[in-house]
Amino acid sequence: MAKEKQKHSSPMRSKTRNMLILFLTPAVLLYLMVFLYPSVRTIIMSFFKVEGVSDPVSTWQFNGIANYLDAFNDTLFRSSMMNLGKLWLIGGICVMTLSLLYAVVLTTGMKGKNFFRSVIYLPNLVSAVAMGIMWLYYAFNKESFGLMNTILGWFGADPVMWTDPSHKFWSMLIAYGFGMVGYHMLIFMSGIERIGNDYYEAATIAGASVFQQFRYITFPLLKGAIRTNLVMWTVSSVGFFIWGQVFDPVNLSAQTVMPLNYMYELVFGSSNAAQSVRNSGIGASVGVMMAAIVVLMFWLTNFIVKNDDVEL
Amino acid sequence: MKKILALVLALTMVMALCACGGNETPSESKGNTDNGGEAVTGKYEDGAKLVYWPMWAETEPQGKAIAEAIEAFTDETGIEVEVNWGGSRETRKTLQPALDAGTVIDVFDEDIERVNVTWSNYILDIQELYDASELNGALNATLMNVCKELGGGHLKTIPYQPSTFVMMYNKGAFEKANITNVPTNKDEFFAVCEALKGAGYIPMTIDEAYMAAFFGYVVDRVAGADAAAAIADGDFSNPAVLQAAQVIEEMIQKGYIDPRAAANIYPAGQGNIADESVAMYLNGTWLPNEIRNQTPEGFKWGSFALPKLAEGGDGAESNNFGAQCFAINKNTKYPKAAFALVQWLTSGEYDQKLADATLGVPMANDAVWPEAISDAKTIIDNTTVRLPWAVGMENDANVNTAIKTNLALMISGKLDAQGFADAFAQIQKS
Repeated sequence: MAKEKQKHSSPMRSKTRNMLILFLTPAVLLYLMVFLYPSVRTIIMSFFKVEGVSDPVSTWQFNGIANYLDAFNDTLFRSSMMNLGKLWLIGGICVMTLSLLYAVVLTTGMKGKNFFRSVIYLPNLVSAVAMGIMWLYYAFNKESFGLMNTILGWFGADPVMWTDPSHKFWSMLIAYGFGMVGYHMLIFMSGIERIGNDYYEAATIAGASVFQQFRYITFPLLKGAIRTNLVMWTVSSVGFFIWGQVFDPVNLSAQTVMPLNYMYELVFGSSNAAQSVRNSGIGASVGVMMAAIVVLMFWLTNFIVKNDDVEL
Repeated sequence: MKKILALVLALTMVMALCACGGNETPSESKGNTDNGGEAVTGKYEDGAKLVYWPMWAETEPQGKAIAEAIEAFTDETGIEVEVNWGGSRETRKTLQPALDAGTVIDVFDEDIERVNVTWSNYILDIQELYDASELNGALNATLMNVCKELGGGHLKTIPYQPSTFVMMYNKGAFEKANITNVPTNKDEFFAVCEALKGAGYIPMTIDEAYMAAFFGYVVDRVAGADAAAAIADGDFSNPAVLQAAQVIEEMIQKGYIDPRAAANIYPAGQGNIADESVAMYLNGTWLPNEIRNQTPEGFKWGSFALPKLAEGGDGAESNNFGAQCFAINKNTKYPKAAFALVQWLTSGEYDQKLADATLGVPMANDAVWPEAISDAKTIIDNTTVRLPWAVGMENDANVNTAIKTNLALMISGKLDAQGFADAFAQIQKS
């Protein structure tokens, strides 16, 4: 009987295996070609002196860790890392706080929840370039019709040069954060909606205030969403590129440059200077550092924010 | 049955993926035997089909004019031209990697320095083709010499759309301020600024994108081209930096530079010329074309060379001028056909059409310059020292960044000339 069963199941397993191979092969091949190969090539390239990103390997010259050192010795790269740090930390605190606040408010059963959720998420549906232009021309405009200065005017405050070197980074951060709040709010909302009402009902009966309910029920049970949000915020911060290009459309500036803008100019040449030098080796080292930051943050987040120990 | 279905599905997937990533098979050249094509096959390589990567977007006036010219070229010669409209100035980023990777590109164009210097290893020496062509001797001699000089003594490019970097101004504003002559020295320049202020105009503005060029010009005007070249090359403590910063500081304090310029993100400052709140802008002769849709009807342009601003500096004889340049890939299979296309675009009917469409200048030696930039012709004719683009101040990203930041801080009153020079001395060369 057992033998007979084996006889029947063996061809089935074989068929399943063949099907799996057949369907997985294209995806695996594509993954190897478009992800693994460029990643490995970039890591290797970061230790070589390479001018053009598509230069043949035979022209590469071994450079040790000089590309990494050269990057850190460059004022502009240091500015870009400083900007990334400020964006991640200060922007992160503001965006996460606002997202969580909106998520908590919108999950209290208030009227018009779907409307407000859509409105807050809306900026994510608009292209970042269009959003950037909108902020530059209508919100941060130096002229009298600029939204921010109009609002300041209502309170009798003097107009602010929102895009001068002293304010440009913060203006960019406000514009970027405005769009990101909706995205992270949705993640928090999905986390909050998974928490059963029983907890809140019991807490209400026990006399817990709204703040206490948030502090002792919502927040601890949101660990998964917090972890996801932290990782996603890190990934989007490291990948920050378009906003820097919009706020400095022609060439880099110390206030808005981010590591990817710096890398882009190095690898593909200057956007404006008529005579420019490319250095794909340093560009690759910047790429590797950015990838390492994301991996490190992922690990740290998992380490600090432990897995949920409550089954919801 | 399931096996067959699975096989079909897998094949469909693979084919779909291949279709997504695959290139179009190049179509065969149609040839043209009806309108002279047979006659020209002897002049060009058999079966020639060209690929052209323009620096322009298809929607820009230049792009539209070039597209029309190419269509006529194909009709005339039978040579098909595949145009890769990558977007405005996108080839600055994409061309070199594409050439490195062996992409078939026969003709491309960009700024005179970028093509002749940065891309010099990719381009074909066209001296023989040029000598044998009707272009020989017919094109703007000054620019042809610059091309040859930048090409290391070899002619590798054909220029078009000549331009120069000068003080572009609103002639109507000058008339309202009763200014009858353009300034030729610092005192006259400052007097012009005062008169403009008196007439209700802000004399000058600038965008962050042009701050390095503005600073470079002021350095040239206070200390000369050699000092500017030394600074661009890394002599960041050169006394000319402070000298130039002091002149700029004086202009800011006297209200000659728009205080809003501290927050200008390109092209906001250009917009202030168009809205007629500001009268002058140190910019290229391409400015009238760039803001032609914003300037009111009847807006009259003038231009003059920034005068000498201190003893030891250069004067109106020293300017940056150049052009866009067509180049032919050294690996092209069809050099003759490619040169024919370049010739078609830079001479005769379509050279004129391109100039007309863009308020630009035709390439012919005896070409008539459009009214908006006619003053600039005299400036180029009288120029004896050619300054590099941005007087070299954009060659190093750290220099450019330092100028942008600190000049804007000076304009907003948060930094003085000494502070500018101190910050400049801290620059670390890339």
